[in-house]
Amino acid sequence: MLETEKVNAGYGKLQILFDVSVKAEKGKITTIVGPNGSGKSTFLKTAFGLTTVYSGSVKFKGKEITKLPPFKRTRMGMAYLPQTNNVFTNLTVMENLKMAGYILSEDEFRERLELALSVFPDLKKILDRKAGNLSGGQRQFLAMATAIVRNSELLLLDEPTAQLAPKLANVIFSKILEMRDDHGITVLLVEQNAMKALEISDKAYMLVSGRVFYEGRPEPLLTEEKFRKHFLGVVEELEVVEDGSV
Amino acid sequence: MGVFEGALTYANLLALLALGLTLTYITTAVPNFAHGSFAVIGSYLAYTLLAAYGVNPYLAVIPAFIVGGLIGTVVYQLTIKPLIRKGASVDMLMMATLAIDIILYGILGAYSDFLSEAFKRNASKFVFTNIDFTVGSVPGRVFVSTALVIGTLIGLYVLLYKTKFGIALRASMENPALAEAMGIDVEKTRLFSWFLAAALAGMVGAVLPFLQETVPGTGGFIIVSVFAASIVGGLRNIAGGLIGGYIIGFSESMVTYGLSDVLGTGVLVYGKVVSLLIMVAVLLLMPEGVTGTKLWRRLVG
Repeated sequence: MLETEKVNAGYGKLQILFDVSVKAEKGKITTIVGPNGSGKSTFLKTAFGLTTVYSGSVKFKGKEITKLPPFKRTRMGMAYLPQTNNVFTNLTVMENLKMAGYILSEDEFRERLELALSVFPDLKKILDRKAGNLSGGQRQFLAMATAIVRNSELLLLDEPTAQLAPKLANVIFSKILEMRDDHGITVLLVEQNAMKALEISDKAYMLVSGRVFYEGRPEPLLTEEKFRKHFLGVVEELEVVEDGSV
Repeated sequence: MGVFEGALTYANLLALLALGLTLTYITTAVPNFAHGSFAVIGSYLAYTLLAAYGVNPYLAVIPAFIVGGLIGTVVYQLTIKPLIRKGASVDMLMMATLAIDIILYGILGAYSDFLSEAFKRNASKFVFTNIDFTVGSVPGRVFVSTALVIGTLIGLYVLLYKTKFGIALRASMENPALAEAMGIDVEKTRLFSWFLAAALAGMVGAVLPFLQETVPGTGGFIIVSVFAASIVGGLRNIAGGLIGGYIIGFSESMVTYGLSDVLGTGVLVYGKVVSLLIMVAVLLLMPEGVTGTKLWRRLVG
């Protein structure tokens, strides 16, 4: 679905990512973990075309998109939900959903809206409420619902449970699973709450200092101490590891 | 004309101008110093239609709206957009609009000479007050300017809250990056905001000579009050332009008139000082203007 190959990217002249190759397979949840400042969020932004790519390639559904602007990636079926500012706070919930369906016909929009509201039924009661007045959890639900309205095939989620109570975070994770299982949406997830994110993932990557440090099944990251310590931000050595073999 | 009626007319026109200035500032972060001259283009269009075809200047608000909008569109496409694409800073964009204002001033000056020659009447300064209608003793400009504000507000409400493009415009104003991520063509909303702002200015320009003497350089004079109004109201909220327009419009007229009672009529030419003093006071006490205060946010939710 999404494939980056030896991507070197950053902001202006500040390089953050070094030779990063990541594959997010169709219908799977791929999680990227790593200590603070490892380049996780920058990677998602790179996938969505919001950084400067110096070299390497980004492919979506087999097509080269490295130089494509974000709105064209959206039209191809990619949705990026940043950690903050992921909804329009001055617009109502309904207006936010309408904007998500901006490029759809009226019939398509109604169909997608119905689907989004069936996944997030709590939103039905607050359609006329200004998004700026929603709770953190409701805002996150709305942001994810907009991705469903957009008919997104790939969801780039940047720390969707940040600053949410654990109970609410669990609900978000169950919704991510629901989107994969019931609606076939591919998810590329970046999370600080790494343990829980890895539990629901099919594949995992660990980034350290802008390089891929681990690629493979999520279980080793959960069980092996040498990986777990990185969740706490401790980096002693940097060595590229593949499929759990050091 | 009574002082209050004059103040209301002035405040109505200023509010419409400030609304446009704020709109383009929000969407493109450009403090447009040529905005006043967009209005003067409307004035000269109305003058031309009157001199050439005898068209009542009040009827010229429609062509002035369209022509003003088209000129705003051209200015944005030819100067502002390429500069933004090249990463021009706000200072550079501001200087560019000053340059545009000087160019427009030159063009309007040359055009006024052409009109003077063509119609054998002085077009370098003119008023429409002598052809205004009255209802009772109240001049028509009070009604027309008020109607323009009400019409604009209704139109803006329908556009911004009832149409998909209008909601996209509000979305782009708040968070252009997210709007683009939703597939909205943000560039189109920016272009439209320049069209609308300049169109409103053109429309105001057609009525302005009913209130005051208009010359090719009127834009450079009136822009001081327009900026004061936008800043006082708050540059981050289009309602701010409207509110600031009324605060500055009424203050400038009423305070100056009040002072003239005490200090003599000579003080009337210093009306802009009142605007600037209010602007300074607001910047010190409420740096984000009236609509940036907690009280305002509480009131509007």
